Amino acid sequence: MNTSSQQEKSFAILLVSPSILVLLITTTFPILYLIWSSFQNINLSMPLNDGFAGLENYIEMFKDKQYWKSFKLTIVYTVSTVSLQLLIGLGLALLVLKIPKAQWLFRLMAILPIVLAPVVVGLFWRTLMLTPDFGIVDFFTQSIGLGSYAWLSEPKLAVFSVILIHTWQWTPFAFLVLLASLASLPSDLYEAAKIDRASALKRFFYITLPLIRPVIIIIVIMRSMIALSAYAAIYAATRGGPGTATEILNLYAYRTSFLEVNFGYGSTLAVFILFVTISVAAVLYSIRRKK
Amino acid sequence: MNKKIRDYTLTTLATFIMLIWILPLIWSVFVSLKSEIEVLAYPPNIFFEPTLNNFKDAIFGSLSIVSELGDSFLIATITTIFTLLLSIPAAYALARLNLFGKKKLGFYVLATQMIPPMGLVIPYYLILGKFGWLDTYHGMIIVYMTFSLPFAIWLMVSFMEDIPREMEEAAFLDKASRMKTLLYIILPQVKGGIAVTTIFTFMNAWNEFLFAVQLSGNKVRPVTIAMYNFVSVEQTLWAKLCAAALIAMIPVILIGIIGNNHIIKGLTLGAVKGGGRK
Repeated sequence: MNTSSQQEKSFAILLVSPSILVLLITTTFPILYLIWSSFQNINLSMPLNDGFAGLENYIEMFKDKQYWKSFKLTIVYTVSTVSLQLLIGLGLALLVLKIPKAQWLFRLMAILPIVLAPVVVGLFWRTLMLTPDFGIVDFFTQSIGLGSYAWLSEPKLAVFSVILIHTWQWTPFAFLVLLASLASLPSDLYEAAKIDRASALKRFFYITLPLIRPVIIIIVIMRSMIALSAYAAIYAATRGGPGTATEILNLYAYRTSFLEVNFGYGSTLAVFILFVTISVAAVLYSIRRKK
Repeated sequence: MNKKIRDYTLTTLATFIMLIWILPLIWSVFVSLKSEIEVLAYPPNIFFEPTLNNFKDAIFGSLSIVSELGDSFLIATITTIFTLLLSIPAAYALARLNLFGKKKLGFYVLATQMIPPMGLVIPYYLILGKFGWLDTYHGMIIVYMTFSLPFAIWLMVSFMEDIPREMEEAAFLDKASRMKTLLYIILPQVKGGIAVTTIFTFMNAWNEFLFAVQLSGNKVRPVTIAMYNFVSVEQTLWAKLCAAALIAMIPVILIGIIGNNHIIKGLTLGAVKGGGRK
């Protein structure tokens, strides 16, 4: 018995170690390297200054107006896209749940935005949908008498547009997951509630919502992680512009590192993104554990 | 009768919303069949003489994306194979075997999955640059493993946990028979899980853009960056862009339609189990 469990342990180590080794080399090591370079001056345009920088980059970050602006924008972007996905997704799921036939067709349509590359989504929206005068959205607002808008070149509208684009692509995810979990709820609870003459609204708030709460929290966790790593669709739609109006932290770190070739400071910004992501995940997971 | 009217109204409403929702995709098909001149007609017209010229151009023309399709296919396929080879045994050990520090390892995998890509692209640019591995296939495959492997392990663990315990209780003794158990008893049980993992790994690698644009681009060109063949500062060739983008997206759209149920299973499984082990 003892040797058998010993055997099992060594077999388990044999199976798991290649993956762990690969993860250590391909993820943990680069992250350590990133943290190291955040304490360095690495600027390809001024290589003579390169060397240990101590906390210089971090001090610069807290004084940097663009950093604060991008940070705020990242929060706005994440909170608004995640809540929109959840609200619209839940509404659509409740609607489609009531449809007696061919629900599979709606599931099939909902898959389409999800499987597209975000860069393609960003390009499609930038051209086909949002170009003033030629895009479908602009055509629509003109037709109903609201007029034409510079969807991607007026700062506030551009923020709205990149939020719209992200929400468009990922709401189907929330919709599909919520539809599946709503469909699996026990029906006897609802029948009991109906006998008690509970209104539809009451049934939703006192039965449905508590039952799908865990799923909602998971959706918030998964979608927040994705929103915090968003890059390609905004890059394709606005490149962070006009000016820096849609430059969330990811795009700012990208510009700093690869366009201004200031890798030291870029690393510092990326370390901060990592820190934000971990903190958000930690908070959300602790909410989830509380139940 | 009343119920019938209600059902009818709800169905119409839902259909209408969904059609509006996928309008950008539908419209891209229309535009891809237009000439570049017709594209700029106002108001946008639905009735026009469709042409396949844009698709021909995207395949045979000077801006052909065929070699990029090949690059993406190669990178995504090899990434998927390595990911499966590594993740399946690891997931089996994490889900079913007696292993020291199992919880901590599971947490480590989950943590690596959450690393934002921006945190990796900067060090990888510097590290791969030092090795001379920028713009190479192996460089890109290594980078793509960083997001595919943690996700695949975590997905496979969820599937492995669902296998009934009795399947493996038959006392086995040596490594060889344990390996046989994994290959002949466990693997057939998680066929569905392997399909889901394959789909997600391939799709994520195929659609990746940030690493592609920054860590490759000359010798190695994933198809997502080929979209920029048709976009320049001066002008965007809408019709050609749409045709090329649709060709580039055919694999993932097909996977999405055919593997529809697998994808939804993967998504909901994630939502129910909640990101790896508790």
